[in-house]
Amino acid sequence: MFLCYNKMSFAIKLTLKQALPIASRSSIILQNVYNYSSKATSQDNFYNNFTDWETLSKKKKVSKAMRAYLERAKEHDEFMKKQQFEYNIGKRHLANMMGEDPETFTQKDVDRAVEYLFPSGIYDRAARPLMKPPEEVFPARKAAEFDEAGWPHHFLFYTGKPNFFKLLYDITENIQDLYKYGDKVIRKKEVTDEKLLLNITGSVWLTKDQLEQLLVETVTDLEYDNFKLAMDRLVSLPHSHIYKDFIEKFRKPLATQRFALEIPKPSYDENGNAFVTTYECLRKKARGDVTIKSPGTGKITINGQDLTYFEDTQSREQVIFPLIFTGMQDKVDIVCNIEGGGPSGQSGAIRWGIAWGLRSFVDKDMLEAMQLAGLLTRDHRRRERKKPGQPGARKKPTWKRR
Amino acid sequence: MIRRCLILPLRNGITVCRNNSTAVAEQAESTQESNTPAKNPLDHPDYFQVHNLFTVKDLFDARVHFGHKEGSLNEFMTPYIYGSRQGHLIFDLDITAEHLRKALNFTAHIAYRGGIVCFFNRNALNAHLVEKTALECGEYAHTRFWRGGIFTNADHQFGAITRLPDLCIFLNTQNNILNQHTAVRDSAKLLIPTIGIVDSNCNPNLITYPVPGNDDTPVAIELYCKLFKAAITRGKEARMKFLQENN
Repeated sequence: MFLCYNKMSFAIKLTLKQALPIASRSSIILQNVYNYSSKATSQDNFYNNFTDWETLSKKKKVSKAMRAYLERAKEHDEFMKKQQFEYNIGKRHLANMMGEDPETFTQKDVDRAVEYLFPSGIYDRAARPLMKPPEEVFPARKAAEFDEAGWPHHFLFYTGKPNFFKLLYDITENIQDLYKYGDKVIRKKEVTDEKLLLNITGSVWLTKDQLEQLLVETVTDLEYDNFKLAMDRLVSLPHSHIYKDFIEKFRKPLATQRFALEIPKPSYDENGNAFVTTYECLRKKARGDVTIKSPGTGKITINGQDLTYFEDTQSREQVIFPLIFTGMQDKVDIVCNIEGGGPSGQSGAIRWGIAWGLRSFVDKDMLEAMQLAGLLTRDHRRRERKKPGQPGARKKPTWKRR
Repeated sequence: MIRRCLILPLRNGITVCRNNSTAVAEQAESTQESNTPAKNPLDHPDYFQVHNLFTVKDLFDARVHFGHKEGSLNEFMTPYIYGSRQGHLIFDLDITAEHLRKALNFTAHIAYRGGIVCFFNRNALNAHLVEKTALECGEYAHTRFWRGGIFTNADHQFGAITRLPDLCIFLNTQNNILNQHTAVRDSAKLLIPTIGIVDSNCNPNLITYPVPGNDDTPVAIELYCKLFKAAITRGKEARMKFLQENN
């Protein structure tokens, strides 16, 4: 048992050491470490088939850079093999400790077992013990970016950000192509079909993070601005629809699902009348539910009373405002139960509940108008606590010189 | 020679030495030997026949002779200046041609021996053209902001031992109108040979093969790109031929 524990703790210690946030690089370039000879870029260029003098000669001399890379790759591989072995042993020990079958012990079981055997109250999750497969713990390594002779695969390799600058290069190339094309169109006096024109409303450029993820490179704010500027230039050209595919690779649709937050279909009671109940209508400390019945006569019932449940006119106005706004004051009946809070909170909660329920009975334009009027927005404000040393939440004692 | 009549000698006492031009003589010599190529390419003065890539007329047509205004002259550029016209310096294209041929010859030799060539240019107007040239001849380009230490701290910058270029070609050697490109200095530090188009306001001292000429006009840059591409292509073709014969 002692041996088991010893082994376990070793495995866990190892993984713990690496549990700190590891840069989660994308897996696009992080292929097999042996992949060094597969060219990342496919430039169909005759001269790229060239390698170094020595490579093609019989002796096949390998460059210093490649030798160093191969050494590192071999070292890394051996290390990973060892880690994998230790992980498997640790997993078996854990399974035995938990009295389960080591063969069917999955990563989920490992996590459960670690949580059970090493309970930890440490706040930071990253500091808690864990045991994960080594591939997840140790960052994968970049495949070599050059061939055996040390020739980089990418023609902008020395800029340090080949993918990003290749993108800028492509944009410029496309812009120049479009200039030429535009000249040709003018010369031939052709007219472009209006339907073909590029319409990019409803989508936005990729954010900086998304672009970074796509390119697998870090991009500075300035570079990102340059990217957007260049793309805007490309899009603004009259025949930019030719490069629609290229442009759309870097655009992402806007979220148009504003009301897709499913509007409930009204239910029907035994008389065939439609009704919608909104639960959890909250405002300040008030809490209640609102039922809208259609068709109706505009009767409002609040906790069994009518609108006179509220004594002040402001609260009454609050309750009937959504009905008047939508013009439904004579078409529906309202029944609500409300508790907690004061008149202002209660009326606010009912107002929101009525507006929320009315969504099922109005058309899309009205929904838009209600959204703009702020009827569908929850008011999350709560009472602010009183602070010591002053009479209220914000109020201070009167200032006196002395 | 009408254009020479228009160009006046430099006003502010700058002496112009035109006697160092040997371009014509060398050209004649290399044409003689071109019929019997030497065994070792290095023994031949112009193994890749780069002298026939251009003429002085081509340079003139591409506006290579235009320098900057007199006031911005770098004194190390004085030997390459023919004169001044309306306050603008004019390069002596005979000298330019000679230097350019030497540079092209060197480029072709580097390409022949399997070296990496990297093109530099910090002028946004011409950057795309330079990158395109590099792509077309299977070489490398760096026309962007120079992060310090790409050469001098390469192992750290690229995260591994990295093979650096064997030849740097600067289509302009200035970073902006005031400062020299840092890569010129770094190449000199690392003994990487450099070819640089040096305008009348540039310092040619750290450049291995300076080529005096206009480094701003797109037409001129186009010509340089075309010439260097042709030289690299010749070098690589000769290498391919050599490898096929010897393997």
